[in-house]
Parts: sequence; structure tokens; C-alpha cells
Amino acid sequence: MSAVTATILENEMGARTKPATPDEGSRLGFRLTLPAQILVLFISAFPLLMQLYISVTDWSPLSGAGWWNAWEMWNSFANYTDLAADTRFWSALQRTAIVMLVCVPAEFLLGLALATLFADEFPGKRIFYSILLMPMMVVPAVAGYMFFMLFQSGGPVNDILSRIVGTPVTIAWLSDPNLALIAVMIADIWQWTPLMFLILLAGLVGVPEDQMKAATLLGANAWQRFTTIVLPKMKTIIIIALAIRVIENFKIFDTLYIMTGGGPGVATETISVYIYKVTTQDLIWGYVAAIALAILIVLSIVAVYAMKRMAKAREVPA
Amino acid sequence: MKRSVPFEIFRYAAILAAMAVTLVPILWMVSMAFKPIGEWSATGADLTWWPKQPTLTNFRFVFGESDNDLIVALDHTALKPILSSLLSAVFGTAIAMSAGTAAAYGLSRFGSGQNLPLALIQLRLFPPMAVMIPVMIMWAFLNLNDTWWGLALIYGIVTLPFAFWLMKTFFDDMLREIEEAALVEGCSRLRVFTRITLPMMRAPLASAALFVFILNWSDYLIALLLTTREWVTVPVYMASLSSSMTGQLYGAKAALGLIAAVPPVIMGIAIQRHLVRGLTFGALKQ
Repeated sequence: MSAVTATILENEMGARTKPATPDEGSRLGFRLTLPAQILVLFISAFPLLMQLYISVTDWSPLSGAGWWNAWEMWNSFANYTDLAADTRFWSALQRTAIVMLVCVPAEFLLGLALATLFADEFPGKRIFYSILLMPMMVVPAVAGYMFFMLFQSGGPVNDILSRIVGTPVTIAWLSDPNLALIAVMIADIWQWTPLMFLILLAGLVGVPEDQMKAATLLGANAWQRFTTIVLPKMKTIIIIALAIRVIENFKIFDTLYIMTGGGPGVATETISVYIYKVTTQDLIWGYVAAIALAILIVLSIVAVYAMKRMAKAREVPA
Repeated sequence: MKRSVPFEIFRYAAILAAMAVTLVPILWMVSMAFKPIGEWSATGADLTWWPKQPTLTNFRFVFGESDNDLIVALDHTALKPILSSLLSAVFGTAIAMSAGTAAAYGLSRFGSGQNLPLALIQLRLFPPMAVMIPVMIMWAFLNLNDTWWGLALIYGIVTLPFAFWLMKTFFDDMLREIEEAALVEGCSRLRVFTRITLPMMRAPLASAALFVFILNWSDYLIALLLTTREWVTVPVYMASLSSSMTGQLYGAKAALGLIAAVPPVIMGIAIQRHLVRGLTFGALKQ
């Protein structure tokens, strides 16, 4: 592993891209980027307009009319006002936030701790490294099924607990509202701590050795070296790692849905699960479109704000 | 830096603990996949951590061989889902990689498509669940529902950001001397791209393709929404493999899970070097 270069988004685009030569180059460039442009347009512009259109109607795939006739079911902005009063939606949002606030910091701290242990060479490092990365490569749905089995009341988790306490433990993890949420969070932490570990380790090996040595000579202890040299050097990388997990964790669906199906009741129903259920069981697609659009708008605002902040942070050399 | 002996002891102890936590869930599924039906849901003192009588029955069962202990017959075997997963992931990867590589080259060398980097990041930002209604309507309109090619198309679009960003950083890092020499020799720019750059980039292309394949192969939600019966993928098939009549088919599902989990784990280890770059959209290179 060599030094780590941290460069993000436009910064890189601006510095590295050659100015287009007017002739052959720009024509070829246009043709090469065309397929990607078409795919992006195909999946963003038209679907967004359709979503906007359907979201102000009562249209459902069962209504008999094609989606283009949805205007006949125009309901002004009832979907949006319903959404504001939809307690199931708001508690799903709240649950998603709780999962995120527990999982992302836990993954970060565990990943950072592991990365610190892997910062220098030691016998067996490569094999340990490969094995510790495995969870993030397991298909999430399969990981969900693994934890579904582990958390059965007669399953291995309770078996281990029984051996520790000495008496048989038969906790019904997945049918208790509180424990089910804990179980799905454990599964998420198991699967994604390796990602934090991987990214943070890449950042950690980029911290210059000589600075650490100098600090040691000046009498700084390990904790001081960590907080004054390592953390500031890793700031950008930490932000990137956290941003990736926050984005992905917000979407949480596969593992969770396979483990609990959002249940018991609605105890583990996150935003994605809630939308999935309204889409496939209640089939009120006009309403789903409104929810989805609201989420997209909020996320876009957050994204623009975050990118501005990141652009500002980048002006200060890391 | 030299570390003290107590630190080394602590390090190995901590790593071994982490290894145990990492491996137990995986090994439990592996063990379950080889357990006979009698050991599937044995509890308490009968709980077996390793199959007492290892068997391949579970694998035979998901491929359609009837089992005396299991009265259920599958309405279709795991073969078609495996084929569906393979076809949709392979062709999805092909779509993402060809569009992504071409666009990355166009931007990296000629500055075309300046909007793409951000547009593609945004594509990745949104939860798939929040854009699936129009996609489901469009796919129904185009007769793409419940087909592997319909899945391949959406996979190609969903993983396009990764293909594009990975290839862009590879192209940016590449030495330009050979390309420039060929241009001086009178090669057209297109020829330089197809005859010189692409063959030189074979290894990065392969890593990026494997990375994208893993993502496509791992999908569950999109296949759950866009396939119903004919072309369900392995994860969807696995999840549907239990009924009120049979209860959980633990062993059979574990066998399927193992089949689904093995390819990406092997590929992931093979491209370990590029994982950081891929996962951070090229923002970090290892």
C-alpha cells in the first residue's frame, strides 16, 4: 500500500481534464459520453416528471386507467397533506434515524479501532485483513438470512448466551419489538464495519511516519499523537467514510427485510420498508410517489449543502 | 515502530476476537447448508454447531431432487434463478462498463460531459425505493417486467456511477506518453482509444468489471420489485423458499445462500487492492 491521495469531485475534474480541442477531440468526447448521458436522462428526467404527475393524483395500478390518465383522479395536494399527518411515515423516519445514529458511529469506532491495530506490519496481517473484509462482500440478503438464523430463539446466539449464564436462554429476538431493532442493527454493524475499517486503514497508512517519530521524541503519548497528528490528517477520509455509510444506511432494506419483514408489527419498519409495503401491499401509488418525491427533495437539499461544505473544507489543505 | 510485547498480545487478542465475530455468522450458514433436516432446528442441548451427519441433500433438494424427509416439491428449482442472476448481472455489468468506460474516457481526455460526475453521484445518493414507482411503470410499459434483460438494463444504470468513477480515476492516473506518441504517428483519436488505451487498461477494466458485477449480483430490492416468477434472482428465490406448510427450510435456504455468497467473496478478495477506490468513487486510492 502506498501513500493515499485524497481528491474529490470537481477539484479533480478542474485540475486534471484537458481543455477540449475544438475539432476531432470534442466530437469524439461528445460521442463517447452520449450513451451515459442518455442512460442518466432515461432514469432521471422522465421518471421524475412522471413521479411528480402521479403524486398529485389518487392513481393506483388497480384503478384500471393507464398512468397517463391519472389526471382524472386529480386530488390537488391531498397526498402531501396526508403525508404530513401520516404517523406511520414519521415513525418510520424516526426509526431510520435511530438505526443510523447507532450503526454509523458504532461502525466508525470499531472500524477505526481495527484500523489502528493494522497500521503497521505484523505476522499474519494479510490473511487477517482478507478475512475481516469478508462480511461486506456477502450478498446483503444472504447476510440477512444468516442473522435470521442466528437470532432464532433456539439458535446459536441464545446458545452462546446460555453457556455464559449457565441457564438456558430462550430470548425471542426477532419477535420482540425492541430486541428486533437491536438485532437488525447488529447485522448492519457486522456487515459494514469492514467498510469503515478498509477506508480508514487506507487513510491511516498515509499518515507520515517521521511526524509521528518527532512527536514521540517531543514526549507526546499515543493518545496525543492520535488526536493531534493522525485525526487532523485523516479528516477528509473520515468525512468521506461517514458520508458513504450515512447515505447507504439511510437506504437500509435487504438485511432488515429478510430478518424481520419490518416487524413485529411495525417495530423495525424503516423508510425503505415502509415505502415497499405501501407500494406492494396497499398499492396506492399516487401516495407512494408523493412520499418518494418528498424524500428526494429533502435528500437533494442535504446533498447540495453537504457538497458546498465539502468544497469549503477542501480549500483548507488537508 | 517497535511495539512492546504486551501491545502485541493485546493486538492478537483483539484481532482474534474480531475474527470470531466475523466468522461465526458465515460458518453457521456453511454448517447449516450441510445439515440433514433433523439437525436444522435442533435447540438447547441438541443444537449442533457442526453437522453430525454432513450431507449434500440440501443442495440436491434446491436443484430439484426430491427428498424423502421433505414432503414438499419445489415449483421450480434453483437453476433458473441462478441463470437469471448470472445473465442479469453479467449483462448489467456489460452495460455499465461500456457506457461508463466510454464516458470516463470522454471526460478524462476531452473534457466532455462535465455534468456527469455529479449527476452520477446523485443517482447513487437516492434510495432505489424512492424512484421505483416510475421505473416499475416504465418497465411494465416496455414489457421488461419479470425478464432478465429488464433487470440487466436497470442494473446497468444503477451501477453506472461506479463504473464511470472507477474508470475515470484509472484514466486520469494513466501515463499519456504512449497515447501522445500514437497521435503524433498519425493515429486517429478513436483508434488510439480502441487500439492502444483499452488494451493497456485491461487489468483496471477487469477489476472495475468485477466490482460492478459484485454489486449487481448482490441486489435484492430491485429484483424483488421487477421480477415475479419467471426470472426471479437467487436472493429473491431464496427468500421466497418457505411456506406456511413447510415452515422455514433452513438447510435448503442456507445452501442457496452459500451458492449466492461464494462468487462475490472470491471476486472481492481478488480485487481487494481496488476496493477502496471503488467504494469511495475514486476519492481515495490505496
